[in-house]
Order: sequence, then C-alpha cells, then structure tokens
Amino acid sequence: MTPPHLASHRASGLRRLLRPALIALTLAAVVAWAAVQCKVSLGELARGAVRGVEVLAFFFPPDWSAMPELFGPAFVTVLLAAVATPLGVALSLLFGLAAARNLAPSWLRTPARMLIGLERALPEIIILLLLVAALGVGPFPGVIALAIGSIGMLGKLLADAIEEIDARVLESVETVGATRWQIIRHAVIPEVLPSFLANAIFRFEVNIRASVLLGAVGAGGIGFELSKAMSLLEYERAMMAVLVTLALVFGAERVSDVLRRRVLEGGKLR
Amino acid sequence: MSVAAVPASVPTPVYTPPSRLFRRRLAILGALLVFLTGAGAALQFKPWMLVTDFHYLVRLAGEMLPPRIELLWSKASLYSSVAETIAMALLGTLAGGSIALALSLVAAGNTTPHPALRTLVRFGFGAERATPNFLVLLVLLIAVGFGPFAGVLALTIGSVGMFGKLFADAIEQVDPAPIEAINSVGASRWQVIRYAILPQVLPSVVANGFYAFDVNLRAAIALGVYGGGGLGFELQLAMKVLRYQDVLALILLIVALVTLMERVSDFLRRRILGTTAAL
Repeated sequence: MTPPHLASHRASGLRRLLRPALIALTLAAVVAWAAVQCKVSLGELARGAVRGVEVLAFFFPPDWSAMPELFGPAFVTVLLAAVATPLGVALSLLFGLAAARNLAPSWLRTPARMLIGLERALPEIIILLLLVAALGVGPFPGVIALAIGSIGMLGKLLADAIEEIDARVLESVETVGATRWQIIRHAVIPEVLPSFLANAIFRFEVNIRASVLLGAVGAGGIGFELSKAMSLLEYERAMMAVLVTLALVFGAERVSDVLRRRVLEGGKLR
Repeated sequence: MSVAAVPASVPTPVYTPPSRLFRRRLAILGALLVFLTGAGAALQFKPWMLVTDFHYLVRLAGEMLPPRIELLWSKASLYSSVAETIAMALLGTLAGGSIALALSLVAAGNTTPHPALRTLVRFGFGAERATPNFLVLLVLLIAVGFGPFAGVLALTIGSVGMFGKLFADAIEQVDPAPIEAINSVGASRWQVIRYAILPQVLPSVVANGFYAFDVNLRAAIALGVYGGGGLGFELQLAMKVLRYQDVLALILLIVALVTLMERVSDFLRRRILGTTAAL
C-alpha cells in the first residue's frame, strides 16, 4: 500500500496536470462555440485582408484640401463635449451624493444606485438613439446623451469615494452640530474633490471620443462629416476627417493627462 | 450700573472684503458660466428645449410602455442575437488579449528586442486607442461585410490598443530580481520571459482580461447598432420600424444581460485570482 503522504503527493501531481488541461479544454470549447456563433472564417479573413488593403488604398492620399473646412466641425465636437461635461458633472454630483451609504437615507440611496447601474449598463449610443427618436437630430440630444452618459461612471466613482471616507472625519463635523449640508460642504467635498475633479477631466476626454461617435448618428461635428464622407464614398475626404479626429483625441488625451496630474498632486487646487 | 449696558465683548459688525479664495472661486464660476453660455449659443444648444420639448419625451415614453416582454420568448432569433453578442465580446477579448500580450513584450522597455521597435509599437497602441471603435468597424464592414465577424475583428483591434499599453506597463514594473536570478544561471530570453516575467504579470493580465470583457460586451452592443450584428442590430432594427414597445423590451434585455455578465465575470475573476498560486 502507498504510504499516505505519498498518495496525497501523487494525487496533487495528478491534479496539477489535470487542472491546466481542464482549463485549456474549457477555453477551447468556449472559443469554438463563439467562433461558430460569430461565423468566423479564416478564408473570409484572408480574402477580407486583401480586400481591406484594397479598401484602405482608396483612403490614400488623404484629401488635404478638405482640412480647413473640417476645423469647424472638429471645434463643434470639442464644444459638444465641453458643454456636456459640466452638465454631466453636476448631474453626477447629485447622483453620487444620493447614492453614498454614509450620507443618504435608504429611500434615496436605493433608487439612485439603481439608476446609476441602469445607466452604466446602457451604451451611450442607445440613449442617444432614444433621444433622437423623441427630440429629432441636432446638438441638443447629443449634449443631453453625453451628460446622462457621465452619470454611470462619475456617479458611481463619486459614491464609492464618499463611502470610503474615514467615518471619524464625518463624525467630528457632526459632533459640533453640523447639518447634513454642512457635513457635505465641509467634510465630504474637501475629501473627494481632487479625485472627483480628476475623474471629471478624464470624462471630458471620454466625452470627446463619444461625441465623435454620436456625431455619426446626427449630433453634428467631425463624426457627422466622417460618416457623410463615407456614405458619399469620398474616402480621401473621410481619411482627412480621421486624421483630424486622431489629432483631436490625441490632443485631448495629452491635455487631460497634464491637468489630472496637476489636480491629483494637489496644492494647486483652489 | 445699568442692566441694559451692552457687554463690551460683542463686536460691532465690520465689513470684511471677500477673501482672495472666495473671489477666485467666484471668478472661476463666472468664467465657466460665460463659457457655457457662449458655447451653448455657438452650438445652438437651447437648454429650455428640455422644458418646451418635454412632451415629446413623455410621448416617446408613452409609446414605449408597456414593454413587449413576450418578444423575449416569442422571437426565437433573439436567443442567437444574445449568443452572438456574448460570443463577439468573448472572441474580441481573447484574440485581442493574446495579440496584445505578444506585442506588449516588444513594447516593454525591459523585454523589447530593440528600443526603436518599442517606440513603434507604443505609437501603434496610442494611435489605436485614439481611433474610435466604430471607425475601425466602418473599414472592416467594407472588407468582410456586414455581420458579427466584422464586429469581432473591430473588438479585437480595439482590445489590442487597450490591453497593449496596460500589459506593457505591467511588464515594465515587474521586480527585476527574479530576472537577474535566472539570467545568472544562463537562461535564454524566452526562458526569462516564461519563468521570471509571465508569472509576475499573470494576475494583472487576468484581471484586465475580465475588465476588458465587460467593456467589450457594451461595445459589442454599440457596434451592433452600426451593423456589427447581435443585440445592437436588433435594437436598431426595432427602432427603424418604430416599434418602441419592442425597443423597451430589448433595452431591458440588454440591461439584464450586461448586469448578469458583470456579476459572472466578477465571480470568475475572484475565483481565478484567489487560486493563481495553485495553478
């Protein structure tokens, strides 16, 4: 008979072999299922790659002469994001405060958390499509969709940040007789402001990307120009719009990086 | 001594000018308001439309209610749409993650074969992240045609940009001691990667993988709207024919799906990361 310590050793050896095999098998099965679902075909990919290169050739050279007339739409895209971000920040502030366990009573917190969760689960494009269905095309539904779109991310991050505040900070303000608003004003806001501002700046960057995308569905701006050029088969003009978009997004990323670092390093926050 | 005498300790109110901090905050607020008004006017963004056009929103809500929930069991093609959306996100994440892992070894300073290659790949990641997902999809739709396959490819390319930077940063932050240790016993470059670097970045790769799946699931729905197939496509179809009760039913389905998958991936991530030591 095998001594017990050796038996257990052998068993663990078998398990060590079995487990990665099992994981690999499961993964392979899942991938195979997914590939069938999505009608993945390597032949199509190979043909598509050839066609893709041919298609890409249409996009070059970019139509540089279209660049000046694309600056206007690009500016509109930035403005859309710039108007939507403060609105979204204000909305998220309300939702974030209402959803924090250590601030809001449960009758307020539960629906607030639910709405935040609901928004997070819905892609922005769906919110925009609904607003467009109700209000028609134009910048108004675009801005509102972006502002609503901020609630899910900023509201949740803010609520989580507030819940992580040291309970002693809140108590010390409470013991000297502060009202709920005074607690928020003098204990909560100073604690969460740097991270909230940093997230808001990041949201601005996200909103620029999103407003390009929303533009394609009719909110105007560079996204609209792009989808218009694509549907008119003016690929070289579309490429120019892509280049302008890239410059825009790259620029926004840089600016947001610098601003966030400044905000988070603190001191300059007044 | 008169009782009515005012105690000397009560100070008479003196006008104090607002502090510098207060004035500065006021200036920032004012500048923000001026900017918002100006930008709003330039965009022809009319906030009062929210009040004047509110009845349109109410009417849409009225048309959406009650949701046609029976759609969820009466329409069989919906199941394959759900499966398609999940499969798109899954394949995009796995394929994108694998490609990103391979490329991140080139993009990380401590494993790259050549610094010039590192800069090149890093630039590629950056350019990809700056490109909106739907743009990639538009090109792919022309190349491989409408349907979920184009969606998978778009998500794959998108995941490479997202993951690649995260993985490369993780690799650059590994503890150099194990690398030196196995280097000193004569390990090849590949052995260093396999035994000193991969074990250190694996937890972050797995955690980011699950996060990317959540992101990709939402993106899969959004891409569907542009013609990538799956639930987003169904939704856009229902909207085009103005069947708003169907639309609401589909939205509820999407919310349920996203929330459920988030729970599942959270659960799996916790289990896997709790047991990486045993792997």
